[in-house]
Parts: sequence; C-alpha cells; structure tokens
Amino acid sequence: MKKNHHRTNSFLSFLILFFSGCEDHKLKQPREERYENSSSKDSIREESLIDREFARDLAREFGREFARELALQLTEGNHSIAYSTLKLSGSAGQDLRTEDLTDADGNPHPLLAHCSEDVLEFYCRNPDAFSIERLGDMPEGLVWKDGSSELEFASSEAKKGGTWNVFMSDFPRTLRTIGPDANGAFRSYLLDYNAMSLVMTHPNSDGYFPGLARSWAVSKDGKTVYFKLDQNARYSDGKPVRASDFFFTFYFMRSKHVQAPWYNDYYGKDKFPKVTLYDEKTISITFYKAKPDVVERVSIRPIPEHFYVELDGEFLKKYQWNPEPTTGPYVALPENVDKGKSIVLLRQRDWWADQKRFYRYRFNPDRIRVSVVRDYNKAFEIFLKGGIDMFGLAKTEFWYEKIPDDHPLVTNGYLSKVTFFNQVPPPSFALRINSQKAPLDNKDLRIGFHHAMNFDLILKKIFRDDYIRMNTVADGYGDRSHPTLRAREFSVEKAVEHFSKAGYSKRGPDGILINENGERLTLELLTGYKPYEDVLVVLKEEAKKAGLELKLKILEQTAAWKTAGEKNHQVVFSAFNSSVELFPRFWEPYHSDNAFKEVGDLKYESDGKLKPDLTTKPSTNNLTQTAVKEIDHLIDLYRPEEELENITDMAHRLAEMIHDHAVYVPAWKKPWLRLGHWNWIKFPEDWGPKETRDYEEFQVFWIEEKEKSEILQAMEQGRSVSNKPTVRIYEKYKTH
Amino acid sequence: MKEYFKLNPITRRKLHRFRSIKRGYYSFLFLFFLFGLSLLGELFVNKRALLVWYEGELFLPTYGSQISGTTFGLDYAYETNYRELKTKFNLENEGNWVLMPFVPYDPFEMDYAEAESTGFSPPSFSDGHFCGTDKTERDVLARLLYGFRIAMIFSFGYLILTYLIALSAGCVMGFFGGKTDIVGLRLVEIWANIPFLYMVIILVSIMPGWWGVGWQVSSLLIIMVLFSWTGMTYYIRSAVFKEKSRDYVASAKVVGASPLRIIFRHLLPNVVSTLVTFAPFTIAAAISSITALDFLGYGLPAPTPSWGELLKQGVSNLRIAPWIVISTVGALVLTLTLVTFIGEAVREAFDPKKFSTFE
Repeated sequence: MKKNHHRTNSFLSFLILFFSGCEDHKLKQPREERYENSSSKDSIREESLIDREFARDLAREFGREFARELALQLTEGNHSIAYSTLKLSGSAGQDLRTEDLTDADGNPHPLLAHCSEDVLEFYCRNPDAFSIERLGDMPEGLVWKDGSSELEFASSEAKKGGTWNVFMSDFPRTLRTIGPDANGAFRSYLLDYNAMSLVMTHPNSDGYFPGLARSWAVSKDGKTVYFKLDQNARYSDGKPVRASDFFFTFYFMRSKHVQAPWYNDYYGKDKFPKVTLYDEKTISITFYKAKPDVVERVSIRPIPEHFYVELDGEFLKKYQWNPEPTTGPYVALPENVDKGKSIVLLRQRDWWADQKRFYRYRFNPDRIRVSVVRDYNKAFEIFLKGGIDMFGLAKTEFWYEKIPDDHPLVTNGYLSKVTFFNQVPPPSFALRINSQKAPLDNKDLRIGFHHAMNFDLILKKIFRDDYIRMNTVADGYGDRSHPTLRAREFSVEKAVEHFSKAGYSKRGPDGILINENGERLTLELLTGYKPYEDVLVVLKEEAKKAGLELKLKILEQTAAWKTAGEKNHQVVFSAFNSSVELFPRFWEPYHSDNAFKEVGDLKYESDGKLKPDLTTKPSTNNLTQTAVKEIDHLIDLYRPEEELENITDMAHRLAEMIHDHAVYVPAWKKPWLRLGHWNWIKFPEDWGPKETRDYEEFQVFWIEEKEKSEILQAMEQGRSVSNKPTVRIYEKYKTH
Repeated sequence: MKEYFKLNPITRRKLHRFRSIKRGYYSFLFLFFLFGLSLLGELFVNKRALLVWYEGELFLPTYGSQISGTTFGLDYAYETNYRELKTKFNLENEGNWVLMPFVPYDPFEMDYAEAESTGFSPPSFSDGHFCGTDKTERDVLARLLYGFRIAMIFSFGYLILTYLIALSAGCVMGFFGGKTDIVGLRLVEIWANIPFLYMVIILVSIMPGWWGVGWQVSSLLIIMVLFSWTGMTYYIRSAVFKEKSRDYVASAKVVGASPLRIIFRHLLPNVVSTLVTFAPFTIAAAISSITALDFLGYGLPAPTPSWGELLKQGVSNLRIAPWIVISTVGALVLTLTLVTFIGEAVREAFDPKKFSTFE
C-alpha cells in the first residue's frame, strides 16, 4: 500500500498540473455559427452558455414550424397553389431559361470549365440547386444596395504598423478551419476577425456594408439575394475570387470528407435550396424562408476552389497545417508557425480591400503574434508586464481586486481600464419554472417562488452592481420590450403570503414550510452552469428565509439540457442567446404547441382548462411548459402580424401575460464589455461600434510604436507618462 | 479487535512501546483531540447561539429544530440571526443575553451583513472571521473545521472498507493457496492495473447529479475503495502464508478447527499487526486523494465544505486572498504531519525485528 500510495500521490500532482494547464478559457465558436452558438471571450464565464443541443433543437423546430405552415397552406389554399402551378407551367418556356451545367458532349459550362470531375458531378446531381442562367434572366426591378449610405465606424487617425500581442490558452491542433479539432480559439483569427463574406453586417446600424460583393439586391418574395462581386476581390495567394467558388462552398461544406456534421447540416439543401450563377461576377443565393435578415443569412464565405480542387479521404491530413488562402487582411503562413508556442499572422502588403471604405482604417497592426499561455492567471501576469496588449476584465475579481483603479500601472498612465457599454441582445439568464410539474402547477406557489429569489443580493454582492436585473421575458428589443414591467422583487413577506395561499402555511422544525399533508416545500433547481454555483448557493440560502428549500442539481451541460429538454425539471436555470432581431419570439418558448403534442385548442376543455393526460412534447424551447389558451391565441395573431405598431403592442401584452402567468424569473444582464489595455494601443473616439461583443472583433484600434517605447522606458525609470485619466467609461450606447 | 489485543501479550508490548515513542504518541492524542473537537464542531463554530436568555427563559439552539425569529420578539419567521440578536440585546440592555460560540458562523452561511463586504474579507478578530472569508463571504475557519470532519470520517470509512476487502481477499488466497491463490492473484493484478484516478474521475463525472449529498459522498467513497483495495491484498496474503506454516496453525488443524475458525481465531490477530502499521499512511493517502479530487472538481458535491475546494479558490486568488491558501495549506500540512508521525511511531513499535524469536 505504501508503494501504491506514493505512486498515487505523484500521479495526483501530475494530474493537477495537467488539468490546470488544460483549462481552455478561450475556446469559442466561429462567427459562422453565430445563430447557433455565440460566445464572448470578454467574459470567460459566459462561454459556451448556449448549448449546441439546444441550438440544434431550435433549428429543428424552425424546420418543423416551416413544414407545419406549408401543410396548412396546402390544405387551406389548395386553389391558389393549383393556380400558381398552372401559371408557372404556362410560362415555363419564357421564365425558366436555365442553361445546362454541361453541354450535350458532357463539356462543362464555361463558368465551370476549371472544375474537376467530382465537383462537376456533384453539381450535376443537384441540377435544381445549382443553376446557371443568363444575365438577362435576372428579374427586373431589383433594388440594388451598396451600403454607401452607411457611415464608417473606424477612425481616420488610425496608423498602420506594429505588432499586436495576444494569447491563446492552447496551441491549435490544426490550421484547418473545418473538421475535427478545428473549433479552437485560434480559428477566430483566421475566420471571425479576418475572412470576408459577401456582405458584412454593419455594427452601428441595422444595415450592411460591402464585403466580397460590391452590391446586392433582394428578390420580391424575400428569399433570394442577388450579389455583384467585387472585381478586385482576391485571395491571399493572388488568385481572384470566382463566382463558381460560391458553388464550391456548398460542395465543400456538404462533403463528408470534411467531417463536420454541423456544417453539413448548416449548408444543407433544405436551408439553401438554390444557388445561381449569372456571369463571372454575378450570383444569387436562395434561402428556404423569407426572413427579414435574409441578406445576412445567405452572405456566405467563398471557399477557394483552386486551392482544394476536390475533396477526398485525405482532406484532414492534407490540410492539417496548410491553411487555405484567405480574402481577409491577415494571412497565416506555415513558416510563421512555431508549433506549440506561437503563430504570427502577417498583414498582406497589397490587400485588395486595403483602401476601401469600411476597411481602410481597420486591421492596422502589421503583425498579430498569438502566443500560447496555458494558464489564465499566468497570462494576466504577462499582461501586467506588457507582453500581452489587451486583456478582458469582465470578471469582478479581475476588475476590482487584481487590477484596481489605484494600481500603479493605471495611476502612472501605462495601462487603461475601459468599460464600453455595448448594445447586443443579452443572453436570457433566468429561472424557468415548469408550470406543469407539481407543486408548481399552482400559480400562487410560482409567485411565491419569484418573491423568494434574492437576485438583488446577488447583483449587489456577487456582481457588485455591474450587472443589472433583467425585467421581462423580452429585454433588449428596443420599443418592443415592455417599458414599465419589472421583475418581482425579493420579499420574504410576499413569498410567505403566496406560499400560504398555495397551502404551505406552517414552518417545519428546520424552518421549511409544510402543508396540511406534512409535505415540505422543496423544489429542485437544475442547471448546467457550474461557474454560477456561487449564485445558486446564495439563492438557496436566501430562499430558506421564505421557508423554501432549494435542491441544487448542477450537472454537466449536455446532461442538464437533456433533462430539461425532456421537461423533467421543476425549475431550470438557463440562458438562450438572442440573435439580433427586431422583435422577440414568443411561439418557441410560450406556445402550448411546444408544450404538448396535441395541436392547438385540442388541448383545452371548453372552460379553457387543460385536458388531463396530454402528451408532453420534448426538446422544445418551451421549458416553462406554458399552455394558456389566451397566450396561444395572442401568439397566433402576433406571428403573422406585419404592422410594427401592432407588433409592439402585442409584444407588450404578451410580456405582461407571461409575467402574470409567473413562470419566468428574470435574472441579470451585462450591459457592457470591460478590458484593460496598454496605452500604446489607441482606440477611436467612441472606442468601438455599438454591437461589439468582443474587443478583438472589429479591429478598429491601432498601435503607436513610438509611445510604446516611451512607456516602456518610463516604466524602467519609474516615472509616470500621462496625466490623462486611464480609467475610461464609454457610455454613448448605454441604454438604461 | 480490542479483545485480541488484550489477549496477545506481544501486541500489548507493542502498544506499550508505541506509547513510549513520545512524538508519535502525542501526535496521536492531538489528532484525536482535533477530531473529537470537529465532531462537536457545532458547539465551537456555528451561527446558532450556545445559550439564549430571553425574558426569563433559557434556550439552547445548538442542536435540534431551528427557532424562528418571532420567538425572540423579532419581526421574521425564519431562523433567528443570533449575531444580530446579540447586538440587539446588548443595545436594549434589558437583561436578555446571547452566548455565541467561539466562531459565530457556520460553513454554508454567506456573511453579507456588512455593507462593504463582497467576498474575500481578510482575517479579523472583531468580526469573528479568524481565518478570513472566501469568495462568497463564507468563514474559512468554519469550512476548514467541517471540511476536516468530513475528510476524517471519509478516511476512516475508506480505511475500514479497503482493509475489509483486502483482508478477505488476502486471507482467502493465502489460506487456501494453490489454484485459488493463482487465479485470485491474477484477478487482483488485473484489477490493480486499472488506473485509480482516471476511473474515479470517469465514474464521478457520470454520477447522477440529483442524488443527495449523502448518496454522492458514499458512492464516491465506494468508487475510491473499489479501485484502491488491491495494494493491501499482497501484504495480507504473504502474511497469511507466513503464519499458516507456523506450528500453532498446524496444531489447530490437528485439533480439527474449521478453516473459518483458524482464519478468524488464529491468523487474523497475527496478520492485523501488519495492517496497523499501514493504517496511518492509508489515512494520509485518503485525505490527500479526497483533497486532490475536490481540487479538480470531482470530489464532494457543492456546497459541502472541503479542503480541496478551498485550495482551489485560494490558488486562483493567491494575490487578493492569501489567507485562504495559508490556512488551508497550514491545516493540510499539520494533519498530514501528525498522521505521518503516528505512522512512523506505529511502524517502529510494531517492528518485527524487536520481537522475533528464533527457534
């Protein structure tokens, strides 16, 4: 045993080192997955908040919803469908002048002349998805936009040059941007902060600005977007961006060789039913549904066909350390990769978009050196020594204790602490109460539960008033959010009062309320967020005052969300990421069709009560199992509504009704982004665009190399360099 | 087992010798004093008062049901905050009084009372936070003490269970020998090659989270025992082999004693002394394992007070709250040193060289 015990101990210490080294603080999803899963490097804790499982369910739900609508239309509008079919077939000779992908001899169309056989065969197998038409066949009356009315969001004072030092917590296991192991922190430098899509969303307005497309137009039915590509668009290897590269994107993304089921699905034919080429610089892409943000949805990234030619089983191996040429400013060359230590990205000298609007004052550093620092606390120490230029300070202990405002580096003007109020829809952190699970089917009990949750204390003590309380089910949608509704406050009296209405009126020996049958008031709180354990422990301790016992069930994420998806929870603490949209969604989380399998009003008795023995519908976003006839009816009216005024009004009423139903205890939102940076890094006057989630995101900063040497020199001599305030708050986009 | 010790004069001599090794013996006394203290922890470290004198009536809130605030004329029905009550009584000066324990906090309680405190309060004698507070303003000393209690009980459970399994397996293999021994030993070897920590981590991570704390702790114990009993088997087996060939076993056989009687009556008392020398080291190993597992997040479920969890907090906040690491490491070093002193003394006292007689 002694021998064994020694072995165990040395093994243990090894393990501790191993594990503490491996914590991947920066693991994040690529920009392309932002609808599904977005995360912020700024606050480590909020990373991977939105579980993929959930997101997929959501996606599936969209599919189902679409199918249901189609089925409804088919049954209700038989005649109109028949009519339109008739009309179509009558004019087919004129309207559908699609050219063949190959001619009679099997020779490819000139636009596809360079394609390999395999690629060509893939297109030919899906003739309805890949088509080539003549330029004259484009619908008339398209309104072309080019984003020229939008304002630039970078500063004209920006200077090019310098090296920007950042860190990653682990060396990337590959330089591919797709496939196994590709989803690491480093990919952001290749894709999110770098590569260009057809059109880019403007971070200061609801509009778009040109990317690889110089102009774009949306079809009348709102499903197809036409793009005119920029003549100059080039990859980093000097080859031009071709129209057929947008065909190739789908060949690439749907290929099984890339071993990326998520991408296979995301770029699936059900989402992108058709891509059309008109000439070398004109294309159109059709989305499956007329979404208001369809431009953004179809704005894909081209895959350089000349680089890959075609894919085979060797793909993963072949491109493991051989990054594809990029359309963006920074390029990772194999010779700049120091395996296990660092990767240096170089700014292309003659980048094609260098002098274009929206790009000319961004991407300023000549080099980005991304070094591996395995331990987060060690990275912070390196930052304090000047080896890393910027560091996210969202965590309270970093902001207040590790680098307080009176830290010598700050008071001497070497370092700045910045709080930037941004405007991005907050993830919906909340306790969601399963209203069908006893004893929570009692509304009084639910209201009592609301009053027993001491979020005020959490905001004050754990988040130190940095976060603010979320108030409604739909915060952050501008006018569409309810202006006056407030979350129920913590109040022992009110909680006890409502609990006693629900039958729990006596205190047991341990202070927990009991009802007439002697049942204790015990509820189970499920979550997958281990980092928020502190918060939940506070809730648990405080709820005891109101006579409520909370049992915490903190599981690993996948397991937690699966349990919640099966609707087996009593209360779940979770958050959904809201995408930037004009108005909130209510159907997914609050319509009874997402609570039970029985459709529509079949669930209700004539008096509006739920029928017994309904079948629960698993894997939907209706985690509160809300099924209220009036809410259903209003949601049914809300969804097809087109007038913004009515939408606003209905959204307010829905928020009130859900508040009255008391199934959602809103938690908190973080209205800013915080970081520390050395003062040789300069930012525009407003610091950044309002939709900045991440300080690296839009690359509007620049480096003053002269100042860098001055600051370093001053540090050595121990004198201060600046009388400017180095703790700065940017409140331009503050909303409350 | 006690009667065996009494019966066997050699063992009695060994115990006597152990007592004469002062360092080990006092360590032993001190450790068990600490353990006893932790068992009665509620009397020393607790948010509940020891005694409350209110309007001619004496209350003893420490054990038993909680007493609601209304009992003492307060305006809330939940459990009385005795620290506040004490200040109130002192202010009123009406002859009522509250006697608080030495540390007036319990290990789960977040002391957010003072307006400024938001976690990581440094040690302070006036507040009664002698070792400061942790991230969520819980008293470090309270968590240390209750963590110690849990770790000690856990280690004893671990010790008893591992030795029980190891003894049975070792005795069976050693006594019956032959094919039982060969097959048994191979099985043990295979089992021993399953990496202990990996298995613990894997099994703990798939453990259903909705189990109660008690269930989780006991299953953690069982998992740890399952993958670490093998080491001891070898020693028991060889000890049994050695003893089996002694004359007294042969004579017992001749008399017609059953194998069970021989094992329990004759072999065990002689084999147990081997175990005793290992016991303190097993305890030390158990304490460090549970701490390490907690540190990695695979140990006791939150918010159970545990040393590993404290260490983890302390290490990640080394600069801003050094008192957490200092007190936790101090406690860990003290405990493990005491256990090791005891272990060395036991080993010396039980050294067979001192007692073996040559025939």
